[in-house]
Amino acid sequence: MLIYLIISLILAVAPLVVRTERASNIIASLFFLVQVASIVALFVLKLHDSVMLSVFRADTMAVLFHILMVAVLGFTLIHSKSYLHAEEVSTRSYKAYYTLLMLLAVAITCVYYSDNVAMTWVFLEATTICSAGIIYHREFKQSLEATWKYIFVCSTGIAMAYLGILLLSTVAEHGTLDYESLKSVIDNGNPLYLKVAFLLIVVGYSCKMEIFPLYTVGVDANYAAPAPASAFISTALVNAGFVSIMRIYTLYASATEVFSWARHVLIFIGVLSLAVGAMFLRRSNNYKRFLSYSTVENMGIVAIGMGIGGVALWAAVFHVVCHTLVKSSMFFQVGIMRHIYNSYSINRIGNYMNINRVGAIGFIIGTLVLLAFPPSPLFVSEVMIFSEIVSVGSWWLLVIMLILMCVVIYAIWSRTLRLGYHSNQDELHLSAVNRRLSYSAAVLLIAAIVLGLWQPDVLKEAIDLIVNIE
Amino acid sequence: MVLSLIILYVLTLIYLSIADRFRNHTTILAIQGLLLFGIAMARLHSFHPVELSFIIVETLVFKAIVIPAILMRVINKTKINRIHSSSTQFGALVMSILALIASCAITYYMADNRTDMIFFGVALYALLSGLILIVLRQRIFAHLVGFLVIENGVFLFSMAIGVELPMLINLAIMLDILISILILGMFLRRLDDDMHTDESDALTSIKD
Repeated sequence: MLIYLIISLILAVAPLVVRTERASNIIASLFFLVQVASIVALFVLKLHDSVMLSVFRADTMAVLFHILMVAVLGFTLIHSKSYLHAEEVSTRSYKAYYTLLMLLAVAITCVYYSDNVAMTWVFLEATTICSAGIIYHREFKQSLEATWKYIFVCSTGIAMAYLGILLLSTVAEHGTLDYESLKSVIDNGNPLYLKVAFLLIVVGYSCKMEIFPLYTVGVDANYAAPAPASAFISTALVNAGFVSIMRIYTLYASATEVFSWARHVLIFIGVLSLAVGAMFLRRSNNYKRFLSYSTVENMGIVAIGMGIGGVALWAAVFHVVCHTLVKSSMFFQVGIMRHIYNSYSINRIGNYMNINRVGAIGFIIGTLVLLAFPPSPLFVSEVMIFSEIVSVGSWWLLVIMLILMCVVIYAIWSRTLRLGYHSNQDELHLSAVNRRLSYSAAVLLIAAIVLGLWQPDVLKEAIDLIVNIE
Repeated sequence: MVLSLIILYVLTLIYLSIADRFRNHTTILAIQGLLLFGIAMARLHSFHPVELSFIIVETLVFKAIVIPAILMRVINKTKINRIHSSSTQFGALVMSILALIASCAITYYMADNRTDMIFFGVALYALLSGLILIVLRQRIFAHLVGFLVIENGVFLFSMAIGVELPMLINLAIMLDILISILILGMFLRRLDDDMHTDESDALTSIKD
């Protein structure tokens, strides 16, 4: 892990000392190869479940989400190169973008592998710092506003989460805050402290997982950041938030008196996230914000799945995995659209089917997959969540979810049709049509559809291990 | 000794709610850093050079010197002086006193035998004071001060709980917070330069 961290950090800051953009691209490619090599090394050296540097553990959840992050990172690098050339950014800005993106990837990886409650917090705060530079990269008025709000709200939210960690640490023996040690003693803790701690931690981390109540900063961040970086933030960083909350959730599974209460909190937060997503998906006039609210909606479903537990918990993890593939693909498609229309405006741009048929088909199929139409993998996960809700007898929850999801389907589908077939009112840059990029974005979507039709045993076993919280 | 330092700390929080000049806010934060140093030293059970140097760096160097210096630099560069003229000091004072009463009530309800009740209550009051500053004040600089008051409250809270985290983790937490403040200060200056504003009401250009 130490070797991985040293090499990754050196490569991450290397673009700052090289002169050309080409050298930055080579360094970014090397960085990607190091990420791939680190995953291969985990399997070859059989490091699974081993503790590294006292604060990291290569458990199944960490490895699964690291693999997903690396997959998205590869496509992010390809699309970033094209994006930065199209935007004609200065060499300084070009190099800073790659440095920040790679530092963000390292910080996110550390969140995944962190085996210590306090270190998870430290690395999540580090992701805030790295993300801030990327959000501000376009250096326009709104990006400045979004960056300020992102840093301020995340820092304040994460300070609250730290309070929760302090309360949680009252159960720790000799200050040991690794998840396994805490899990063995959490049942001895003061239930009131544990409840307040859970609430503070989930509220604090909600800014990363993009769920209620601090979801707004994530939406603003995705809006202001360059589209390829938005794809990365909206998936890898959101997954970092999910992994952090999932680890706390797993910890609380041993706190018999408090766990039921914690699950109710997650259902409440999930329903509110779903409601917020449904409401703002109807109002949004920007494709990037639109996709961000879709993330809020999907993470709301995940939180509900976690709250219900049982099969729904399995489905929640599977939902996050598939959402990563679908949402990143959609953000990449939106990035390509931006080159053509020079806009993200829902009301103004259209006729995409005739302008870039590959991109339009990719976007429409992506929308259908996002809306959980079969053979979408999200259909599989949502049906599993619904069936578990029915089996526990929470009919009221099922009704609320179905109503809200009808609103979501209407909002998303009407806007997708508008993009494909509505007349365009904006200036076109037809030379920017790049079918290769559209195809590359579709690869992730195809991977998601394959998961909808067939879930490999290795993935099923990995999720089984993750949801084995007893 | 500790009790008198704690009482002084509470007084700084009350004064912070009615202070209207940002230079005073910065001075109060520096004083809070000194008080936290005194409190941490008074509670030090035994002499550990590493622990002692960490306390000195975190409270005396960062909280009492470096962070106030960064804030003073921001004040000088942006030429901001006072909190918004429409803000009422009396309302803020009432809110602060209510927060103090609420903190006492919550502490009485929550604290158990493993927790130092006085520290717990003051830490909670510091957190609420920070939140009140963020919610009531319009100027972005006041929000930054509110965030720092919360961070100081978190420091007190860790003493109330009596948690001793490993040094590496403490160091990482301290560095994270310092970098966050540096970046917040940098962006505050950017907001002043590019948008010619230091009021949160002006930050409404992103909407659906």
